[in-house]
Amino acid sequence: MTEYSLEVMIDEVVLGLASDADCAKLDRMAAEDPAVAALLERARLRFAPLDDTAAPQPLPEGFWNRLTDRLDVPDGPAAPAEIVELDDVRARLARWRRATYGAVAATVLLAFLAGWSLLTPTPPLVVTVLLDASGGAVALVESAPDNTTRITLLEQPAVPSGQVMQVWTKPDDAGPPVSLGLLADGTSETLTIRGLTAPTARQLYEITLEPAGGSPTNLPTGPILGVGRANDPVI
Amino acid sequence: MLGVARRMLRRSDLAEDAVQDALVLVWRRAGQFDPARGSAKGWLYTILRNRCLTMLRSEEREVTSDAADVDVTPVPEVLASAYGGLDDATGLRQCLDRLDGPTRDAILASYVLGYSHGEIAGRLDSPLGTIKARMRRGLLKLRECLS
Repeated sequence: MTEYSLEVMIDEVVLGLASDADCAKLDRMAAEDPAVAALLERARLRFAPLDDTAAPQPLPEGFWNRLTDRLDVPDGPAAPAEIVELDDVRARLARWRRATYGAVAATVLLAFLAGWSLLTPTPPLVVTVLLDASGGAVALVESAPDNTTRITLLEQPAVPSGQVMQVWTKPDDAGPPVSLGLLADGTSETLTIRGLTAPTARQLYEITLEPAGGSPTNLPTGPILGVGRANDPVI
Repeated sequence: MLGVARRMLRRSDLAEDAVQDALVLVWRRAGQFDPARGSAKGWLYTILRNRCLTMLRSEEREVTSDAADVDVTPVPEVLASAYGGLDDATGLRQCLDRLDGPTRDAILASYVLGYSHGEIAGRLDSPLGTIKARMRRGLLKLRECLS
């Protein structure tokens, strides 16, 4: 018999061959030791391509309704994680909450599939994806009610030397663009500004290339790197 | 997700239950997800696979009333299509290629169909200890090959 090393245990947990006791043990070890967690993740990634070989199945009719029925139960601290008491869930069913939970559940799912962390401390009021002239996504802009604006660059734009990226918004669609600040070191950044009204859906955001130090006229002068209008996030 | 569950459970009705259970668990444990420790997709599939394995191992599976729910594809065909579905360029495919057929099928059967050591031993009519040792040697080769 080969030695039952940590790596064997990890492989057997990932394949589904390990005992419940070993699975629980490895869970504890991974929670305490990031090195074990990394080994476990690596083992999962080794076999993950097999998940993509399963033939995709269309969701059966009524899938989301049945799911939202089940989500409609308070999250009690003592609720057992592995056992879902269907009768209990059904007893608490409240029709009017279905749609809300359905939307939220779908959002949670999509958020995870997209790989976004849900642990953002304050949810943004509006989210904008800035696109370049060819429709490529350039940046994600998340704006809080106080106009704290987080800009996540989705690609590294080519900024000529002597120039800088400047972020603009139009709080009033008919009015002039207002500068939110510079991305001085050419990377993603969170900008703050005072005195503007809270951002709203459809508000315009854009990034332009300006001379070092920012636009001399305090209005966009250079080429547009990316532009977009804000959306209300579904949270 | 549903495809993975259906392939493992070989029943479409149970597969829907498994995906629903997994999504309820994801919902409840969203706060436990730590992006530093792995991808969101991996986390989601791990929860789903664990749910399927629990269903496979438990005796609570009721007999289905609808034959249409049952997947009757023969096991070797399911394994061959999983193996064949892997892109030739992936390391996993290339490294699985280097294993002998029975060891490769045993590893595939455990991951894809959720078979236990005992079930694999039964199918191959080999002693349990032999199967365990053979699979561990195969997994060691995979680890070395993929590292």
